[in-house]
Amino acid sequence: MTDGREETFRRLYAAHFDAVLGFALRRTERPEDAADVTADTFLVAWRRLAHVPAGQEQRPWLYGVARRVLANHRRGDRRRTHLGERLRRELAAAVPDVSDGVVQRADVTAAMRRLSARDQEVLELHLWEGLEPREIAEVLGLTTVVVRPRLSRARARLRDLLGNDPEAGGHVPSRQPQLTREERP
Amino acid sequence: MNPMLSDDTVAGLPLSLGRAELLEEIMSTPVLDDRPATTPPAGRSSRWLAPVAVAAAVALLVAVTAWWGSGYGPGGESGADGIASAPAPERDYRAILDAPGWTVENVYADSHGGELSYAKGEQSFEINWYPAASYDDYVEDRRHITDPPSDGEPVEVLDLDARMWAYSDTDHTAIREPAAGHWLEVRGGGMDRAAYLALLGELRLVDEQAFEAAMPATFVDGSERDAAIEEILAGIRRYVDPVIPPGSQRVGFSSDQNDPYHLGADVAGAVACEWLADFAEAHRAGDQRRMDRAAAALATARQWPVLQQMEADGDYPEAIYGYADEVAAGQVPEGYADGLGCEG
Repeated sequence: MTDGREETFRRLYAAHFDAVLGFALRRTERPEDAADVTADTFLVAWRRLAHVPAGQEQRPWLYGVARRVLANHRRGDRRRTHLGERLRRELAAAVPDVSDGVVQRADVTAAMRRLSARDQEVLELHLWEGLEPREIAEVLGLTTVVVRPRLSRARARLRDLLGNDPEAGGHVPSRQPQLTREERP
Repeated sequence: MNPMLSDDTVAGLPLSLGRAELLEEIMSTPVLDDRPATTPPAGRSSRWLAPVAVAAAVALLVAVTAWWGSGYGPGGESGADGIASAPAPERDYRAILDAPGWTVENVYADSHGGELSYAKGEQSFEINWYPAASYDDYVEDRRHITDPPSDGEPVEVLDLDARMWAYSDTDHTAIREPAAGHWLEVRGGGMDRAAYLALLGELRLVDEQAFEAAMPATFVDGSERDAAIEEILAGIRRYVDPVIPPGSQRVGFSSDQNDPYHLGADVAGAVACEWLADFAEAHRAGDQRRMDRAAAALATARQWPVLQQMEADGDYPEAIYGYADEVAAGQVPEGYADGLGCEG
């Protein structure tokens, strides 16, 4: 039973580690913070493994957890655990050396900061994580009926600020082929 | 700020030791909770699983321009009066927001519950109601808004105990204990705690009649619904007559939607489902004539007035057009029944 649990978790971790760490890196100030968010997110997943959905719903579920962990970190509740010390160090050393392979241009990031937090969040999930409205709804605990118009409005507002559609020039697709699939209507 | 690295770039970072060590560290921690989930963790969206297709496809951007006027809709007042004088067992489970300046953005209701959302500038306020049976599961899910999980802050919503959690400083949600066979969740965004709590005090429980009366003028109430459905069908019948395939077992069309977009999706979707099922059956039987008939019917979808009216508000018409195109190419569209929310 324990072996099965560990195996399940190993698979989950292997499949989504980069995505969760990427999610955290794009939303934190320092590499160490991203390591902490990643560690806490997977710790929640480990403890609540029976609650983790299967298949394509896994990643939005993990993003949903990461989002709550991140909110706690932002409130100053840092370092709940001391897990991932080596990851912190490695990440702190590696990240400053990276200059390309970013998900969007700086002007798009700057424009997004001028939007409301609510608009920003759906846009980030759409543009950075490549999520479709249904998956964004999963992450945020909302319905698609709410998310879709919100995303549509947020995109329009961003387009107004930039004078063009951000996806046209700014979005470098990241590695989530299974999540950038066309959404079933 | 960290650079906005793509996942590809993250995957290429030299983190193999740290990554492996973290995995082992996590798995060496005790397991606290291994009960299987009875609902998907993304709680609120779980009720959309059954009508998932409709929920997913029935996107809308209802350009509701009707305001509450002074903020006190006719239904709101009557509903409020009713509740104020009736502390005894509640019968009503739908709630509306009775506050100036808030506009109804969207309403959706089905047998699983309902959702009513409001906007005021950048602020949003959403009221959801669900059958009482799901209360425990949702509370358990919301407990995990905080880390470690918490029971939330006790508050009062419509004279009943409720628990409140903060997603952030400007995003709060509260779950009210079940009454009248239902429970409510109320979420406010773009406002601080004090403003959110103040709005909780502006909620009113209303009966069905008052609820409908409080909706904007563009919404279709129960007494108007049959006529609206007939009008939609008459529009389709100009291009497809009979509206459904000969031999179909369907007896009439119905919907419990108030919103013209959702109502249109229910009716036009049901018509499309009938023809798609007919095409699939003919395809299985190798009946080319029947296939052609179904394809011809679906090929007119772009002319159905109801779908044309819905185009500006969401993607549901596009979904039907896409299936029609596949049928025209001789293919049975994969997953169309889920995609459109076809019955049966």
